[in-house]
Amino acid sequence: MVQASSQVWSQQIIDDIHAKADLGRYRIRGFSTFQKVTHFDDLTFLSTGLTRFPLEGYKEKCSTQVTLGARYASEPLVLETPVYITGMSYGALSVSAKTALGKAASMVGSASCTGDGGMLPAEREASDKLIYQVLPSRYGFNPHHLLEAQAAEIVVGQGAKPGTGGMLMGVKVLDHIAESRDLPSGIDQRSPARHPDWLGPDDLAVKIEQIREATDGRIPVSVKLGACRVTDDVKLAAKAGADIVVVDSMLAGTGASGEALLDHSGIPTVPSIVMAREALRDMGLYGTVSLVASGGIRSGADMAKALALGADACAIGIGALVALNCNRDIPEADFESEVGVSAGQCHHCQTGKCPVGIATQDPELEKRLDSSEGADRVANFLNSMTMEAALLTRSLGKGDVRSLEPEDMVALTIEASAMARIPLVGTNKVFGWD
Amino acid sequence: MVSLDAHSLSARELNQAIKKAALTGSQITILNPQARHNIAVGILDSCKIDIDGSVGYYAASLMDGPEVNIDGNAGWALGENLMSGKIVLTKDAGASVAASMRGGDIVVGGNAGARAGISMKGGTLLIGGNAGFLTGFMMQKGRIVVCGDVGDAVGDSMYEGVIYVGGDIGSLGADAKIIEPSETDLIELWGLLEQSGINDRPRFRKIVSQKKLYHFDNLERLEMSAV
Ligand SMILES: Cc1cc2nc3c(=O)[nH]c(=O)nc-3n(C[C@H](O)[C@H](O)[C@H](O)COP(=O)(O)O)c2cc1C
Ligand code: SF4
Repeated sequence: MVQASSQVWSQQIIDDIHAKADLGRYRIRGFSTFQKVTHFDDLTFLSTGLTRFPLEGYKEKCSTQVTLGARYASEPLVLETPVYITGMSYGALSVSAKTALGKAASMVGSASCTGDGGMLPAEREASDKLIYQVLPSRYGFNPHHLLEAQAAEIVVGQGAKPGTGGMLMGVKVLDHIAESRDLPSGIDQRSPARHPDWLGPDDLAVKIEQIREATDGRIPVSVKLGACRVTDDVKLAAKAGADIVVVDSMLAGTGASGEALLDHSGIPTVPSIVMAREALRDMGLYGTVSLVASGGIRSGADMAKALALGADACAIGIGALVALNCNRDIPEADFESEVGVSAGQCHHCQTGKCPVGIATQDPELEKRLDSSEGADRVANFLNSMTMEAALLTRSLGKGDVRSLEPEDMVALTIEASAMARIPLVGTNKVFGWD
Repeated sequence: MVSLDAHSLSARELNQAIKKAALTGSQITILNPQARHNIAVGILDSCKIDIDGSVGYYAASLMDGPEVNIDGNAGWALGENLMSGKIVLTKDAGASVAASMRGGDIVVGGNAGARAGISMKGGTLLIGGNAGFLTGFMMQKGRIVVCGDVGDAVGDSMYEGVIYVGGDIGSLGADAKIIEPSETDLIELWGLLEQSGINDRPRFRKIVSQKKLYHFDNLERLEMSAV
């Protein structure tokens, strides 16, 4: 049927070209991709019936504890729930937000992670288990902080901007942020994409050994990958000696990324997990190298599905920010006048004008976030995720989230069947693999 | 005085023995390093370490405080992320010497490979000989002094640091420019050379950022500062 207006040149495309014609460069956005791709909603669990019996859904014991990084570390990371707060930089986020996230993670026995701006003392204090990122930029990197960390995460890439480094617009590079990163104030910071001291996977092996030497082999060393060529990248990271591999998909959140990368590079979360699992299995390392999935995980159901596909745990960014009040129409905020869109539509983290005080360095805006109340909300959300995952696990007749497996699910679409390598509902067919 | 024979120790045993000895501020000698990787990593106490021979990647890296003398060559990333202290290498350094260094001094007696002083955030890197491609890449702060020649793309995308080159410059990197050093700069430089036992006084040129890549040329309305 012929449509009422052009399907190729939509209003949105036209506006975008106008904006670029004025600007003369790529556009930058926060939040996450606007692409619609196969995701966890395209999978469903097959809870028990007569062929097997359930556990009491609301009460019976269901273990949610997971251990990450036991491959070589003498002190692996033990999480009471298979979800932790991902690395989001101090700079992209306010002190109040970073502190709230660290505190929330501690409240539920999980971990939080630093980000591209070094270790914030307030976050170190708030977070019982803090993962210290080793990024290409090395902003504020300090071997004393490494010794205080419960894990180290070498960032090779991020799902929201694979193949590039961090980005922080000048509006957020105020004096205190510039100082902590050793940069001139107010610059539009575009961080390096390559690490300064290693380039390829063989060098990475020596880098991983270096981190282990500095920490006496105590803490796990994780490698975070932007999910693109997942099979090869995961194999190379595992061969280089990673204790944990994080695959961060094209659905992953960001504080600022070039839109072209955000929307047009990387692969979705579902196939990322499956490809990583199979890569580890090929090497005989599945179950030895821990696998963490991130990118668009929004609920305990998403988390349970990620675990069933083969992840040992998940990391969340945007979900935690939303629990903190991101995109919420709080009385102090006026989204329309402050960021030009209504609450629920905001993706303006890069502007530093966050109406709810999360993604900002403006002290006045930051006052809109009560760190301690925020921590309670994030902890509540994390608890709800844990309970949802446990509810589904029990409904499958299992008493441990680690027992979730691909056989617990079917796919609702042909694409999801092919990507998740599980049968399409109502058929016995795994599309693309039979 | 503690003497450690690297030949009979794993990297872990060696580093743990160095850390233990460093706690008491001892003078530590490492024999037979055999160009192995990750020697003297993560030493955070002041002490004196003499390494008798060549070292591999990441020698004397992630350190804060020690004074390290290495009699030989070094592989990649010598002195990576040094916080404070001093490293003196008698011969050549591989790529990425002083990568992301934040303070202290690193002296390379011979030549350095590519990416010398990459992402440097403070301190001084002095190279007696030549330095390779991308010297001072994305350097943020601090000072690099190359007495000999530098390769292509020197100072590419650098921020606030300075690079002095005594010999020929292969080419300038993006956003870098050459300026004449001031008299104060030269007096400071000569002092540094004298301290390091370098007798030549080459005619140094100074490389700094043009600062044209600090900002995007245009911003969208909301990307602009409110003030
Ligand atoms: C505000 C913000 C800042 C971020 N900063 C970093 C960072 O500094 N380092 C990093 O590796 N990833 C960073 N990320 C990406 C996250 O670590 C993670 O990959 C992503 O948020 C996961 O996807 P999700 O947000 O859909 O859960 C950031 C994400 C957000 C939303
Ligand atoms: S409300 Fe704040 S954190 Fe949420 S998308 Fe907008 S700017 Fe980012």
